[in-house]
Amino acid sequence: MKISAPGKPDELHYAISAEGYDEVYGHQTQMREHWLYLFEALKTLGPDGIRERQLKAQRIFRDDGATYNPESSASPQSWQLDPVPVLLQSEEWAVIESGLLERAELFNLILKDVYGKRELIHHGVLPPELVFAHGGFLRACQGLSLPGEHQLVLHTTDMVRDSKGEMIIIGDRTQSPSGAGYALENRTVMSRVLPSLFRESHVHRLSLFFQSLRIKLNTLASQITSERPRIVILTPGAYSETYFEHTYLANYLGYPLVQGSDLLVSQGYLYMKSLGGRERVDVVLRRVDDSFCDPVELRGDSQLGVAGLLDVVRSGHVIVVNPLGSGFLENPALLRYLPQISQHFMGRELRLSSAPTYWCGEPQDLAYVLAHLDSLVIKPIIRKRGDESIFGSQLNAPQRQELALKIKCKPGDFVAQVYIQPSNTPSWLSPQLVPRPAVLRTFAVASNSSYTVMPGGLTRIGTGNENMSLSNHRGAISKDTWVLASEPEKQLSLSAHTVATAAGAVKLHVAFPCRVVENLYWMGRYAERAESALRLLRTVFIQLNSFDNVPEQIRLLLRTVTELTGTFPGFTVVDAQMQQQPEAELLSVILDRSRTGSISASLHSLLDCTDQIKEMMSSDTQKVVNDLRDGLSSLKDALQPGLNSAPEEALDPLVTTLLALAGLWQDSMVRALGWRFMDMGRRVEKALQSIRLIRSSLVPVLPEQQQFQTLEAILLNSESLITFRRRQYDGSGMMQGLELLLLDRSNPRSVLYQIALLREHLTELPTAAHGQGLADEDRFLLEASTALQLCSLEQLVAENQETGTRSELEKLLSRVQYLLEATSAQISHKYFDQIKAYHQLVRLDWDGEL
Amino acid sequence: MIYRVRHITHYEYEKPVTLSYNRAYLLPRNTTYQHCMSSTINISPGDTAGQERYDYFGNRVYFFSLELPHNELIIDISSDIQIKEKKYGLEGKLNFDQGVTCSQALQALHQGGDAALLDAREFVLDSPMIISSAGLREYAAVSFHFKRTLLSAVRELNQRIYADFTYDPESTIIATPLAEVLLNKRGVCQDFAQLAIGCLRSLGFPARYISGYLETFPPPGQEKMLGSGASHAWFSVYIPGEGWFEFDPTNNNIPAEHHITTAWGRDYGDVSPLRGVFFDGGKNQKLNVSVDVSRIETD
Repeated sequence: MKISAPGKPDELHYAISAEGYDEVYGHQTQMREHWLYLFEALKTLGPDGIRERQLKAQRIFRDDGATYNPESSASPQSWQLDPVPVLLQSEEWAVIESGLLERAELFNLILKDVYGKRELIHHGVLPPELVFAHGGFLRACQGLSLPGEHQLVLHTTDMVRDSKGEMIIIGDRTQSPSGAGYALENRTVMSRVLPSLFRESHVHRLSLFFQSLRIKLNTLASQITSERPRIVILTPGAYSETYFEHTYLANYLGYPLVQGSDLLVSQGYLYMKSLGGRERVDVVLRRVDDSFCDPVELRGDSQLGVAGLLDVVRSGHVIVVNPLGSGFLENPALLRYLPQISQHFMGRELRLSSAPTYWCGEPQDLAYVLAHLDSLVIKPIIRKRGDESIFGSQLNAPQRQELALKIKCKPGDFVAQVYIQPSNTPSWLSPQLVPRPAVLRTFAVASNSSYTVMPGGLTRIGTGNENMSLSNHRGAISKDTWVLASEPEKQLSLSAHTVATAAGAVKLHVAFPCRVVENLYWMGRYAERAESALRLLRTVFIQLNSFDNVPEQIRLLLRTVTELTGTFPGFTVVDAQMQQQPEAELLSVILDRSRTGSISASLHSLLDCTDQIKEMMSSDTQKVVNDLRDGLSSLKDALQPGLNSAPEEALDPLVTTLLALAGLWQDSMVRALGWRFMDMGRRVEKALQSIRLIRSSLVPVLPEQQQFQTLEAILLNSESLITFRRRQYDGSGMMQGLELLLLDRSNPRSVLYQIALLREHLTELPTAAHGQGLADEDRFLLEASTALQLCSLEQLVAENQETGTRSELEKLLSRVQYLLEATSAQISHKYFDQIKAYHQLVRLDWDGEL
Repeated sequence: MIYRVRHITHYEYEKPVTLSYNRAYLLPRNTTYQHCMSSTINISPGDTAGQERYDYFGNRVYFFSLELPHNELIIDISSDIQIKEKKYGLEGKLNFDQGVTCSQALQALHQGGDAALLDAREFVLDSPMIISSAGLREYAAVSFHFKRTLLSAVRELNQRIYADFTYDPESTIIATPLAEVLLNKRGVCQDFAQLAIGCLRSLGFPARYISGYLETFPPPGQEKMLGSGASHAWFSVYIPGEGWFEFDPTNNNIPAEHHITTAWGRDYGDVSPLRGVFFDGGKNQKLNVSVDVSRIETD
């Protein structure tokens, strides 16, 4: 088959690069057979078709919240997928796979030895300094041992195909390897955007890998508990680079996602702090680097770990995967000795070779490296943030000299690798296919007698030819990797299916940490707070721009803005200038994130909460949250003075989005504990906001006409105006208005309605957490409810001649407000974790290093 | 000789500590020359969960946690230790002029050898608190001639530190950097031990940090030795083919029957008496340590 020549924009073009091996053509002019079908299909789709599929893929990633948070970037970036997969033949993959199995076994033996007998050192295979001087070698982990044959549970490699067409491994990842979840997400998206191509290509499935992982973790757990195993995923938190993957895996595997502060060591066991008490944890799948896992014995300055964890591991009461200490295996200097290590343990060399590596701690290696800096890749022996591989060829003479000096100063800290020019693979650069260098990350997980390797893995491609280091740090684009079966693979076996359903069923009962519950509660509160502020500001803008506004009434409304949002002093100070031109202050109440209570601050807090509970959000919710984020970031532009549209219209989309969010919560969230806390947050905040609004705007007595207009504005603001107008009212309407706002149980915006729901929620909380009988929070709400029901509307509207206010109304509302605030404080105290941070007994300045 | 060591650590917190997790190096280990016959551990408040283990260096380490609110923490440890025989014969009988020379030692270390030697190379490397430097090398170098025996060179280094540096409990905090100690020529036993180790490592010799105790009451007529009434620290150096030799730069001697070893490691940080984290407890805490070493049986 021939690919059409360039110049015809409607047809697909792929020109191979002059350099390196090409995945499609190899060194031949003829396309390799296993690519034919894909190219035929892509040609049929045409550039427009591919572009459209790529957009669709991007949309799905966005809706799934699939992000990657590079260190360099302030905001998470959407995951990037190239729609053209990398293809590998089944036979070729079989060879790679067996090489990977062998390598995983070898790394397992190294791990066992380094924290055990250290034969490799005593027999002269490894220089002692290579182990003892490496920061990943954690002395506190000496002698730790997992039940079963394998110490190393997860082993990941990065490999490239060299110019001869051979696969070469350039590095290993054993700390807390990332990428498997992204590979799965890529696969899911590919099968949705290119369904028939995917189906017809008979691609080996990824699910077996994850099943093996689940089985391995269950098997490990069964060694320490006879009950249903409790497995958690430990994440550093929402700001970690691969947080999306943590949430994704937590959902896929059905395990709670926890942070260090969600866990607690007590009496020699590890527990998760959850509602209603503690739940024992048997296995921790960690995504936190080992040295950060326990401030008592490892890095004392870490707030990501669990105090005392390591000694629980030592007791065998919890299993951490990958085991603590395994980060040592990432020492790239090991690659230099791998052939000898392999000889030592297995009596033969590895089938898959690694890139030739020199360790500068060896004098002859150092001499070679210094003499060949221009052709080597220099790597530090321990990965630190910001420390990247240095390509000698890209340095000028002074830079090279500087590097040489750095190496000579601490030779043992550096390795050098021969640069392997990665093979090129066709990648989509609209409107054509271009060759891009590719690195494949592979994944192996320990299974009963051996390892299970994910067929394919995560491919990353350079964004340009010059980009030689392909890491996500630099924003590389990923690809799905298809290992093509010669015939259609059987559908998932029944047993596999059972595993999946069982996990699904379990998920419903998965307890979650208190932190999640707390974030749900606050998510509800912030959403309501933002919504009520938005509504009020919308009302204020409308009033400001209406031709018949009355200064008195405007002043009252502006004051209400300050009191409702809590952005004091704002309009509560008498400032004629500000009253005349309130726009600047109003914009600040909307946009200034640094002001607590501003709309921007509330929405950002809301978004922070959603980050914390990402794994619990449906894809639909994620979409709405995305809209909210977009709306928030474009708010400033939308409110630019001089634009045609009125400010109130700029606020509309946000109100709508918040309503959509509330609707989703109401309609599609399972009525479990999480939902109850979210809804309690909403109810508390809604009631408080209503009370603040009424206290500020309806307690002062105004002349009749203005009073009526203010009442109508408040009712409009509370979406109760239409009901109000339909009802009969007499005189000022104040009594009926207040009844609607405060006491009407059929009005879902009334204060009494919120309190009734709050009380209902409290009765549904687990007795273990709530306690028997009436608790303080029940009493507070009972009193608030009773006070409202017993009040006399006549007295509430009556003016106190001395103060010129409705003092009975004020008295009632200030009491109810106090009771609601006390309820909220009590809920926080009782259900949320109070322990926030720990101190070191003795603060040592060098605790950063080990 | 049998000693009884009582070591009491008393923390008082400004506000109640709700939870704490601790790691203690307070139980004397067994060595070729000493045997810890018994240790009793009393921790108050008493609801603690504790666990004794052996660490990477073979030291005894005690982990304990307190899970109920407490305003003070008292760790009261009493151990009976038998000093089995006098090290290296009697101090005076050690022959400093025979054995491995400095250059032979460096060569043997470079070439490698048995497991003991290969393992000792760990103690040539920098550790978190002891970083080799040109300054340390320069200070030490005058004592280390190629043809001199390593043992006699180290003895001279030990003497020089004793002579050149002033023992001054006011001068340091536990975290005094070596460069500062070298500059001010002042410190306490931990500083002198770490300084000597830094000197040796800067020249390529393996040296490790030893924490322990010194007998409290001096025999009549002798000067009271420094470092009593508290925990003490000294160092040992590895001589290829010969083993580890201890020196006490604070007292200018070779630890023999009056030194009781608790633990050893690369530096103070590996064996610090108490390390841990606690929750709440306020900003300030008061620490009181008392150590008492007494003979309960004489040979």
